[in-house]
Amino acid sequence: MSGVELEFRHVSKRYAGGGAAAVEDLSFTVPPGQICVLVGPSGCGKTTSLKMVNRLIEPTGGEILVDGENVFDKDVIALRRGIGYVIQQVGLLPHLTVGQNVAVVPRLLGWSKDRQQQRATELLGLVGLKPGTYRDRYPAQLSGGERQRVGVARALAADPPLMLMDEPFGAVDPIVRERLQNEFLRLQEQLAKTIVFVTHDIDEAIKMGDLVAVMRVGGKLAQFAPPADILASPASDFVARFVGADRGLKRLSLTTLRDLELQPAVTGRPGDSAAEARERILADPFPYLLLVDQDGRPIGWVDQREIPPSGNLNEQMAEAESPVLGLRTTLKDALSQLLAADVMAGVVVDENERVAGLVTVEQIAAALRDQPAARG
Amino acid sequence: MAGHLDDLVGRTLQHIWLTAIAVGIGFLISFALAVLAIRRRSTYGPILATSDILYTIPSLALFAALVSVTGITLLTVEIPLTMYTLVIFVRNMTAGFDSVPPDVLEAASGLGYTGMQRLWRVEVPLAVPLIVAGLRLATVSTIGLVTVSSILGDSFGGLGFFILEGYRRSFPTELYFGAIPSILLAVAADLLLARLQRRITPWTHDAEPVPA
Repeated sequence: MSGVELEFRHVSKRYAGGGAAAVEDLSFTVPPGQICVLVGPSGCGKTTSLKMVNRLIEPTGGEILVDGENVFDKDVIALRRGIGYVIQQVGLLPHLTVGQNVAVVPRLLGWSKDRQQQRATELLGLVGLKPGTYRDRYPAQLSGGERQRVGVARALAADPPLMLMDEPFGAVDPIVRERLQNEFLRLQEQLAKTIVFVTHDIDEAIKMGDLVAVMRVGGKLAQFAPPADILASPASDFVARFVGADRGLKRLSLTTLRDLELQPAVTGRPGDSAAEARERILADPFPYLLLVDQDGRPIGWVDQREIPPSGNLNEQMAEAESPVLGLRTTLKDALSQLLAADVMAGVVVDENERVAGLVTVEQIAAALRDQPAARG
Repeated sequence: MAGHLDDLVGRTLQHIWLTAIAVGIGFLISFALAVLAIRRRSTYGPILATSDILYTIPSLALFAALVSVTGITLLTVEIPLTMYTLVIFVRNMTAGFDSVPPDVLEAASGLGYTGMQRLWRVEVPLAVPLIVAGLRLATVSTIGLVTVSSILGDSFGGLGFFILEGYRRSFPTELYFGAIPSILLAVAADLLLARLQRRITPWTHDAEPVPA
């Protein structure tokens, strides 16, 4: 089921005993099929706002409408089963296998055993976990990244039109996070769910959001706009400060390698004639030949000076490695990985891990220069 | 000799029976109390304190005192035995429920488990390791205590009958005849329950983290 509209209407939350509001007069609308990221410093009420949608927290004022219906008029259990929910610590049930975890909501909804299993298999495949390998494992046997994938699969199990994701990729290292983000965006292109996504990381907000709600302490909405607008014209000093002085650099998160004209790589396969390969690489300004396997997947670089005048190329010649980037990697992530690896060019691969081309630091710098200047 | 063996089997069965009643009823009462303590936090302190105080009453005094109320009946044996299991069960069960990670509880609620479904399908299974730890302790301690009930007469006491007889007649062999099977019974029950726990909680072992 694809997304539905979600609307916050003057939503407030005050805790008993007075004090400042946790959320104050929050109003915004997320159109069907869009990702709305709630971002802000800790204590800004972003998680509280998220949990009011599935009524883990009850607001003290206002309405939340899902597809035009007020969530407070609905049966709370039915409401929750109809909304996908992913949390930071994932919250997988430790005593259930991966397959059973994914099928939790279908089971609560009374689906048949066969249908539950079928759905679990389908979803594990969808999030990139081989069902045969993972279905019968327990959560304790998974890596952090695998757990997060299972968490996403579980949220998708009953095909809810709306998903709530509370720092869903928060508990993994940056490289894994980047990959999970990219995969999730690819999934979302097919699924077109309406998603509320909470993060404290402005870079993640800019990358993941169709719309970004910047919140400030006290649960006030500071700005609600597409990420490009927030970067180009922050509504207030607070937003400008929160986004950071490097707004121009952050705009690199809005563009992915897909949008860039990649440079062709001079490639060779093990077994190819060295003399011929040498001739080709000497004719190219870039001094390294990219060795690929029979399927076109990268193996490593060969320095043109190391290529013998006769004989064949072989795998032992490959040495220096450089980052392998996906087409969905943002320019910002690509730049940071190239700089971290201290190389001038990275290999870009397509969905099948085959070489699509090269990206260089200069290219990314050029893209940065071509951007319309940010105001303010 | 055959007579002795019949006696031993009969007394052992009685020992098991007296233990099972106390542990079973104690388990059920404690379970209700533990769920109450977890759901209504204000009751947590009083429930634990009460079970603690009950545990401090000397068993010999309690058996003797109850005779004037309930006579020499099964009830007189089982009330103290059951009471002494409460402190073990309540502590282990509340610890078991408290050990369920908060993110798991929140995820379960967010996914749409009702309160009862969450209790039975999430909290109880995850509390099993500590609940069974309590069960082992309560069983072993009750098997020991059953012997004391032999002071209520020949109809009770399980293997304790031989111990008391041996003492009265200053006949060490009979004393061993009661004590050793009682110890073996406790060890066997403990091992059996430990195996049971491994079987019903497959997620707690073979949980070797697999590298990504």
